[in-house]
Amino acid sequence: MPPIKIPSRKEVIQREKSSGKDVAAIYPIHYPRELFRAFDVHPVEVWGPPGVDTKMGSAHLQSYICSVVQSGLSFYLEGGLKEVKLILVPHCCDSLQGLGSIFKDFVKPGQEVLTLYIPRGITEESVRFLSDEIEKLYKSLARVTGRAPARERLMEEILLEEETDALVKDFYAGRKKTPLSSREFYAIIRAREYLPPRDYARLLQIAPRQSPESGPPGRVGIIVSGLLPEPMEILDVIDEAGGFVVADDLACCMRRVYGKGAAENPFKRMAERIVQGPPDSTKGGSVDEISVSLTGLTEATGARGVIFYNVKFCEPEDFYRPMLKKRLQNKGIKTLTLEADINQPLSQQAITRVRAFIEMLKGEA
Amino acid sequence: MGLVNQIKYLTLYKIIGTAVISRQTRKSLRHYRLPRGWREDILAPPLRIGAYTQQMIAKHYLEGRYVNGVKPVAWVTSGAPIEILKALGYYILYPENHGALCGARKVAQEISEEAERDGYSIDICSYARTDIGTALSGKTPVGKLPKPDLLLCCTNICQTVLYWYRVLADYYEVPLIVIDTPFVYEEANDHDIKYVKRQLESSIEVSEGIAGRSLNFKRLKEVVRASKDAADLWLQCLKANRRKPAPISVFDQFIHMAPIVEKRGDPETVDFYARMLAEINRRVENGVGAVKHERKRVLWDNLPIWYRIRFLSESLAEHGVAVVASTYTNAWGELAPLMDVERPVESMAKTYTYPILNRGTGHKLRTMESMIKAYSLNGAILHSDRSCKPYSIGQMDQRLKLLNERGIPALLLEADHNDPRAFAGEQAVSRLKAFVEMMEA
Repeated sequence: MPPIKIPSRKEVIQREKSSGKDVAAIYPIHYPRELFRAFDVHPVEVWGPPGVDTKMGSAHLQSYICSVVQSGLSFYLEGGLKEVKLILVPHCCDSLQGLGSIFKDFVKPGQEVLTLYIPRGITEESVRFLSDEIEKLYKSLARVTGRAPARERLMEEILLEEETDALVKDFYAGRKKTPLSSREFYAIIRAREYLPPRDYARLLQIAPRQSPESGPPGRVGIIVSGLLPEPMEILDVIDEAGGFVVADDLACCMRRVYGKGAAENPFKRMAERIVQGPPDSTKGGSVDEISVSLTGLTEATGARGVIFYNVKFCEPEDFYRPMLKKRLQNKGIKTLTLEADINQPLSQQAITRVRAFIEMLKGEA
Repeated sequence: MGLVNQIKYLTLYKIIGTAVISRQTRKSLRHYRLPRGWREDILAPPLRIGAYTQQMIAKHYLEGRYVNGVKPVAWVTSGAPIEILKALGYYILYPENHGALCGARKVAQEISEEAERDGYSIDICSYARTDIGTALSGKTPVGKLPKPDLLLCCTNICQTVLYWYRVLADYYEVPLIVIDTPFVYEEANDHDIKYVKRQLESSIEVSEGIAGRSLNFKRLKEVVRASKDAADLWLQCLKANRRKPAPISVFDQFIHMAPIVEKRGDPETVDFYARMLAEINRRVENGVGAVKHERKRVLWDNLPIWYRIRFLSESLAEHGVAVVASTYTNAWGELAPLMDVERPVESMAKTYTYPILNRGTGHKLRTMESMIKAYSLNGAILHSDRSCKPYSIGQMDQRLKLLNERGIPALLLEADHNDPRAFAGEQAVSRLKAFVEMMEA
């Protein structure tokens, strides 16, 4: 099977800019993609990126701040965001809150820095608040871009995102039958971080879905939980050890596949999608809500093990994990916890532990 | 069971316990003695109000031992809007204060390790680890903590408390009220305040349901009045340090802030701070400074290092350095003017959205700058607290701004508010020495 060609971030940014669009850099995790698109602003997400020299960021951030935030700031400081017109830092945890604040108060980039407070908990109040917050973001975008998309345009982009979410869900549902390696599969999933929705939909359409070797015999279904699969070498190690990532509970992937909104008001509809989306530690849901979702995912996919792939110093994940592990173990699902720094290669010790974990699962089969 | 609890509460707490504690207080006031090893050569004696501080804390935790089944019990975060619960007659416990007490008594590490053994990362907040450790093991220096009937978590101090209280809610299987306060990067938006107000209003019904009584708004106003008065008196105590020499140190403030945190809304707390202010004023009149031979005056930023308070106090006083103001202790008084007794819920929404910890890094720098000016300070110690990310992020820029743009020597001191494993004593001493030299240069 020939490898699928996925355009790089750089290529996409150049193309979007040359078509007259502005580009926005978006820090993790939750935000309404559709709002930016309605303004002809192309959102490109900044999850680190990995492999950045964090020396420049460490002049502003203590060593106990996670590598996603360290890299994110360093990337800006070394000129990685020169091409963008504006920066959005959603408020998803204390460290991202600090990043947004340092940007506004001390780093003061040439571009506009916008923030978006994501409410905690799933209530009517959260939806109402986020709706107001998105409306405020609309006004900021209107000021920065000089555009003011009408309701129809907003709804058009919302429906397009909802359609894309449905396609992603479908792609996940067929995971067991795809001949793609875990890394190939997640390269496609994560391309959504920077591809326009129509290009992304095309990518999903051309991605191979069926294989005579689907559901490889002898391979153990694994779910990866955490923020992001970086370094992505973890996926190769799982495959090489005889595992198979059947689904994920990752903040940059499955936790952002939102459902359809119901409201006629576009701001409320965008808010509904985020608030009522899959559980995520940073949204502060109950332990029950998160564990029901995770155990449900293991049951639906037949996964035998869950790897908690944790970015060091990520408090939201650190708090929930002990309870989630207990709940999973009570259901007979084995778990493994690995700690990662997105700027460091996977340690030999981590590789050995993944191999031993999958060996153990295979032995129990 | 209810009657047994009532009898125990009445006899062991109300009658015997309170009498014993009050007697101890009177005794320690009559036969006042300096704590063992007190450095009289460099430090003024501890405030005599300390006997009452101890009394209030002892009574509070003693009541906690017998309160289950007698009063509804709520566990709350330190910045939570407790006035509604107080007006409904709840006994209120602050796990953060309990954590600080464990830190000051040097048992926090042992208790935290109970949580770590259960899988909680050493990277999460050490207050949370201490609290979860107590929940799992029952270990506490106060004998026993009451089980909560309700949890109230307000995100105005950090997001960490939300995850922590989710763990508690799951462990104790009790309702959790979340008051989510949007972070204020510059100024709060109208929709932020309305969101907080709506959550406060919704919290009333849940709190009433558990308390089994309706909220009396007249009583709520009385509680808000007591909160406001106590916070105002606390602020006056702190402001007395604008005088030279400073009558109390920040280390004294850390010890005597317990009532403003955990007994806010009680009339006895107002009396306590009125008495404390009177004692401070007597020191001012007599020219008594907390640090004898005060030569330099500095600011403390961030939480205390609970397990090294005396060590730091002495290490600095040896050089004639008085730590006279703190962004942390100031936070419990600076919002008093926002509280409006006639519009309790509306004003609570605003007051509890605006604590320093819920505001941007630039606001904190401006607060530090204005305190440096108001208190005539020569330097600043910024405690880079690995357990408190929201307070610590921004300190590296704030330090440089103070140093380069204001010419204020500023030290970044790496530690953790409750976990001694993150504190290197010798390194701290040599850094403090270098900092003093920098101020003297």
